[in-house]
Amino acid sequence: MTTNVLEVKNLKLHYFTEQGVVRALDGISFEIARGETLGLVGESGCGKTTTGVALLNMPSPPGRIVEGQILIDGIDIVGMNSRQLRREVRWSKIAMVFQGAMNCLTPVYTIRQLMDETYREHTDKYTKEDANASMLKYVNMVGLPDHILDRYPHELSGGMKQRVVIAMALFLEPSLIIMDEPTTALDVIVQAQILNLIKGLKKNLGLSYIFITHDLATEAEVADRIMVMYAGKAVELGSNEQIFGLQGPMHPYTAKLLAATPRLHQKVDELAFIPGSPPDLIDPPVGCRFAPRCPFAKAKCLQVEPTMTEVGPRHQVACWKAIKDSDYERQ
Amino acid sequence: MNDNKPHYFEFDDQDVVLEVINLQKHFPIRRHASEVLAGAHPFVRAVDGVSFQLRRGEILGLVGESGCGKTTTGKMIMKLLEPTHGSLVFNGEDVTHTGKGSEIHYRRRVQMVFQDPYASMNPRFKVKDVLEEPLLIHKVGATKAERVQKIRAVMEKVKITPYEEYSERHPHMLSGGQRQRIATARTLILEPSVIVADEPVSMIDLSTRAEILHMMKTVQREMELSFLYITHDISTARYFTDRISVMYLGKIMEIGPSDSVIDQPMHPYSRALISAVCEPVPGKANELKVLPITGEIPSAAKIPAGCRFHTRCLEAMEVCKVAEPELLKVGKQHYAACWLNTDEETRRKSREQAVAQLESRAKTA
Amino acid sequence: MSFRENLEGLGEFWKEFRRSTLGLVGLTILILFVLVGSFGQYLIPFPGATENWRNIDFWQDNPQAAPPVWTNLPWGTQAASSEFLTDAKTETDELDGGVKQQTWTINYNFTADQAPRDVIFAFAGIGQVPVILSVTRPDGKTIEVSREQMDLVEEQLTRFSVTNTGAGKVIEFIRGEDAEIATSMLADIVKPTRLLFSKIASDMETNPVMLKGEYVFTIKALYLTENSKVENPTVRISGFVSGLMGTDISKRDIFTGIIIGIRWALIIGLLTSLITVLIGVLLGVIAAYFGGKIDWVINRVYEYFYLMPIIPFLIVIAAIFKITIWWLIALIVIFFWSGAFKPVYGMALQLKEEVFVEASRALGASSWRIILRHIFPMVLPYSFAVMALSVPGVIVYEATVSILGLGDPSIVSWGQILHDAEGQGAVINNLWWWVVPPGLMIALMGMSFVFLGTALDKILQPKLKTR
Repeated sequence: MTTNVLEVKNLKLHYFTEQGVVRALDGISFEIARGETLGLVGESGCGKTTTGVALLNMPSPPGRIVEGQILIDGIDIVGMNSRQLRREVRWSKIAMVFQGAMNCLTPVYTIRQLMDETYREHTDKYTKEDANASMLKYVNMVGLPDHILDRYPHELSGGMKQRVVIAMALFLEPSLIIMDEPTTALDVIVQAQILNLIKGLKKNLGLSYIFITHDLATEAEVADRIMVMYAGKAVELGSNEQIFGLQGPMHPYTAKLLAATPRLHQKVDELAFIPGSPPDLIDPPVGCRFAPRCPFAKAKCLQVEPTMTEVGPRHQVACWKAIKDSDYERQ
Repeated sequence: MNDNKPHYFEFDDQDVVLEVINLQKHFPIRRHASEVLAGAHPFVRAVDGVSFQLRRGEILGLVGESGCGKTTTGKMIMKLLEPTHGSLVFNGEDVTHTGKGSEIHYRRRVQMVFQDPYASMNPRFKVKDVLEEPLLIHKVGATKAERVQKIRAVMEKVKITPYEEYSERHPHMLSGGQRQRIATARTLILEPSVIVADEPVSMIDLSTRAEILHMMKTVQREMELSFLYITHDISTARYFTDRISVMYLGKIMEIGPSDSVIDQPMHPYSRALISAVCEPVPGKANELKVLPITGEIPSAAKIPAGCRFHTRCLEAMEVCKVAEPELLKVGKQHYAACWLNTDEETRRKSREQAVAQLESRAKTA
Repeated sequence: MSFRENLEGLGEFWKEFRRSTLGLVGLTILILFVLVGSFGQYLIPFPGATENWRNIDFWQDNPQAAPPVWTNLPWGTQAASSEFLTDAKTETDELDGGVKQQTWTINYNFTADQAPRDVIFAFAGIGQVPVILSVTRPDGKTIEVSREQMDLVEEQLTRFSVTNTGAGKVIEFIRGEDAEIATSMLADIVKPTRLLFSKIASDMETNPVMLKGEYVFTIKALYLTENSKVENPTVRISGFVSGLMGTDISKRDIFTGIIIGIRWALIIGLLTSLITVLIGVLLGVIAAYFGGKIDWVINRVYEYFYLMPIIPFLIVIAAIFKITIWWLIALIVIFFWSGAFKPVYGMALQLKEEVFVEASRALGASSWRIILRHIFPMVLPYSFAVMALSVPGVIVYEATVSILGLGDPSIVSWGQILHDAEGQGAVINNLWWWVVPPGLMIALMGMSFVFLGTALDKILQPKLKTR
C-alpha cells in the first residue's frame, strides 16, 4: 500500500525550438508522500518551474513531455486528454500557485468573481451556493476576512493577494499544491507570514507541497525533503536534515549553493560563489553537467554522466565523488 | 547650519563625505471629492525626516521593506527627485539646491547603480557606448584613444575582460552578473567618491550574487569609495555593510554598526525584521515561526500618530500612541528610536507633554 | 554610433523586412513608381506635355475622347489608332538655276479595318516656301493632297489636315482613276481619309474595303530664297483609338497625364509626410520629455488641429486664395503633424520613465543629450512607419481638393484629371478610361505605402516593447 501522492518516473520534457531541442527536463524521478513538502531548488533555468508545469501536464508550446510517467494517486496522467486533465486532475488533485500569480489577478474583477471563475472552470457540478460556501471557507482559512471577496485586487496588499491566490489553489481540495516562488516578491515579514500560513495549512489539511524557489534558506524553512536541480537534472535529493544538517550536502553544487547563501547570524568575510554559468541545454556537456564549474572534477566526471545513487536513507546524489566511485578515487 | 544637525551626528566633518539632514519627500496624491471641497491637500510622506552621515570609505546599508522610503531617499541623494524639505551636504557644502554649474560637479562625484542592470542601459548601446557616455557627458578624455584607454582600465577593474570580446556586445548579450559589472564600471569610470547602490544584486542569480558583492567590495576598498547600499535583504547587508540603518515608513528606526544592529537589535521593528529572515539551518520545516509583529504596514498617506510603529508593535505602551521617540544612543555608534530604551520617568513626562501639546492645539483650532 | 554599426543594423532590419510579403509588395510597387516618376519624360508619347497640359493647341491633333488602343480586340474590328510619325527620311536636290529642293518621306504601315479620322502633315520653317504634300499608296498610286506656297513663321507649327482641306484633291485623284465613281462625290460630304485608305471601287464611299499595307507620305519643299527652310516634318494619324489609356474630351492623352501625375503624387506625399512626421516627432518628444507647461500648450495646440475638420478648411482656403501646390502642402502639414504627434508622445512618455534614461540623468546628462541620444533613436524608426502610413492620406487630400477644382493649375495631378472627368461628364458618356486609371493609381500608390507602413510598423514598433 503506497502512501505516495505523486510519483514521477524518468520525466523528460523538451522544447522543440528553431535553434534545436532544448532538454529542459532530462529524466527526473522523485516521489512525494502524503503530508510531505518537497523543495525544488536551483539557479534560474535549471528546470524547476518546468517541472511544476510538467506535473500539471500543461507544457507551453513548443514544449512536449517526451518520456516518463507522472502517477497521481497511482494514475498516470501523461496520456490524458485536456478535458480529462481539467476536470479530473488539475485543481481537484494537483493545483499550482504560479510565480507572480498575485500580480496577474485581472484588475477589473472582484476577488469573488475571480474565484468563481476558477471554480466553474474546474468542476462539473457548479452551483452558486457551493461556490460561495467554498470561497468563504478558504478565504477564512488563509486568514482573510469575509469582506475581502468584494474587493478588487488593487485594493489589497501584496501579502493579501498572495493569500487570495493560495485560497484559489485550495479551492477544490487538491492533495498536492505546487508553489512556484510564492514568497520571492514579498517583503521579509510578509514572506515569513506566508510561510507560516503554508506550513499551517499543511498541518491542518494534510496537504503535500512542491515548493519551488531559488533560495536555499527558504527551503530550509518549509521543505521536508529537498531536490537540488542543475541544468535539467536532479543532482541531489535528501531530507532537510541531510542537506542543512551538520554533515552537510553531498553534491559539490549543493554545497556551493549553500555556501553562497548569506546567513544573518554569521559574519563571514567572504561569501562563496560559483564561477561560470550553467550549460546550454541544447548541447549539454558530456559527462557530469556541473563538471565544468566543479572544483572537484576529474577525468571521469568529464566523460561519464553520474546517475542518482542512494548514499543514505532516502538520500540520493548524482556525483562520482559523493558515491566514492573507484575510478574517480583512483584518478 | 550646524545648529540643525541632529544630536546623533557624531562623526567629524573631515571624515564625512555626505550628510543627509532631515530629508523629506512628500508626494501629493489624488484627492477625493470631499477633500477637494474641504480644501485638503493629502500627501504621501514617502520620506519623513531622514538624517544620516556617510563617512569616507564606509558602506552604509539602508534596510527596510518596500514602501519604507529607502529608494526615494536614494533618488533624492542622486538629485533625481527634489526634496520637499531638508538638505544634502557634500564635503561640507550644501548641494540641495544647486545651479547647473555645480550640479555637474556633484554628479561626477556621486554615482548610482540601479536594481535592474538591463533596464539601466540603453538596449541600442554597446558596452563601449555605455561606458563612454559618462566620459562624454563630463568631457573626460580629449581623444577617442584616451577614452578607450579609460574604458579598458575600468573593464579590467570589474573583471570583464578582454576588452575586444566584450566592448562590442549589446547588453542583451551579457549574463545578469556581467551586466551589473558593466553598470558598476559605468559608475566607477568617473572615479566618484560616493556610490548609491539600489538593490544591486536582487535580480541576480544566487550563485553569482556573492561574486558581484565581492567585486563591489573589492573596488570599494581599492578606491576608498563610500557606498550607500539600499536593500530589503538584511542578510546580504550584514555581509556587505559597515553600518546599517533600518527604515520604517519614511524614518530611520535604528542605526548602528551592522554587527550590533543584527546581534543586539534595540528596536522592536528591527527585531521583527531579523526574526523573519530565513536561514539555511535544519529542523524548522514543521514549526511555525514566532513573529514579534502584528498586522500589515500602514499606508504612507496615513502615518500613525506617536511612534509610527506602535500599531504593529507587540510592546506598545501609552506613550507610543502620542509621542514620537527620537533616535537615542543605545550603544557604541548605535542609536534606536524607541521608548523602550528610556526609563519610566522620561516616558511619563514625554507622554504628559505630548498630551498637553495636543490639547492646546485642539483648543486653538 | 559609427557608420558600420548602422550598416549592421540595416542588414538586420532588411533580414526581418524580407520576411514580410506585404512589405515587399509595397516596396516593389513604390520602387516602380519612383522609377517611372523620375524617368517618365522618356516614356510619354508627348514630350513637353508637362508644360502644355492645359494648352488646347498642343493636343489638337489627337482624337477626342478616344478609347485606349487595346480596346482593338484581336478578334474584333481594328479601329485605326492614333499615331505620331516622326521618322522622316530626307534628301536634298539641286535644281536648275540653283534652287534647292528638299524631300522627306515618312512610312506608315496601315493595318486597320477602318480609315483614320484624319491625316495631318505638320512642320516648322521660315519664309515663303512652295510645298507639295503627297501620299503613295501600297498599290503604287500617288495622290497629291496639296501643292501651294506656304507662309512659314519661325517657331510655329504649320499644319495641313487632309480631312479639312484635302477633300478636293482626293476626289480629283479618284476621278483620274475612274471618272464614273467620282461623279457622285461632293467635296463637302466625302470623308477624304476613307477614300485615301480604301481600294478603288464603285461603292468605296459607302462600303469601303481598306487597302492595307505600306503608305508613304512625301513632303517636298522648294527653297527659293537663301534663308527659307522647312524643319521637323511629321505626320499625325488621328485614329479612333489612342494611346494606352485613351484621350479625354480635350483630346489629351490620359497615359501621359497619369505618368506625369506620379511625380507630383510622390512629391506631395513624401514631402508632406516627411515634414509632418518631423514636426510631430519633435513636438511629441519635447512635450513628453519636458512636461509641465510646454506639454500642456503643445497638447492644446494638437487638440485644436486634431479636431478641426481639414477638408472644409482646405476647401475654404483654396476657394478664397487660389493656392499653389506649395501652399497646399504647407496647409496639409499644419493639420497632419497631429497624426504623428500622439504615438510619438506616448512612446516618449514611456521612454522618459525608463531606467536607462534615469541612469543617464544621474550621470549628469543634459536634457538635450538624453533626447538626442536616448529618446530620438528609439522613436525615429517607428516614425518612419508613421510617415509611410500618412502618405496615402496626404495624396487623397490633394486629390480631394483637386477634384473639387481647387488645386494648383500649374501641375498635373491625378486628382485634377478626375476633376476634369467629373466636370465633363465622363461617367455619363461612358468614358471609363478617363476615370478608372487615375482612381486606380491613387489607390495603388496609397496601397503601396500602407503595405510598407504596416510592415515597418510590425518590425519597428515591438522592438521598443520587448527589446
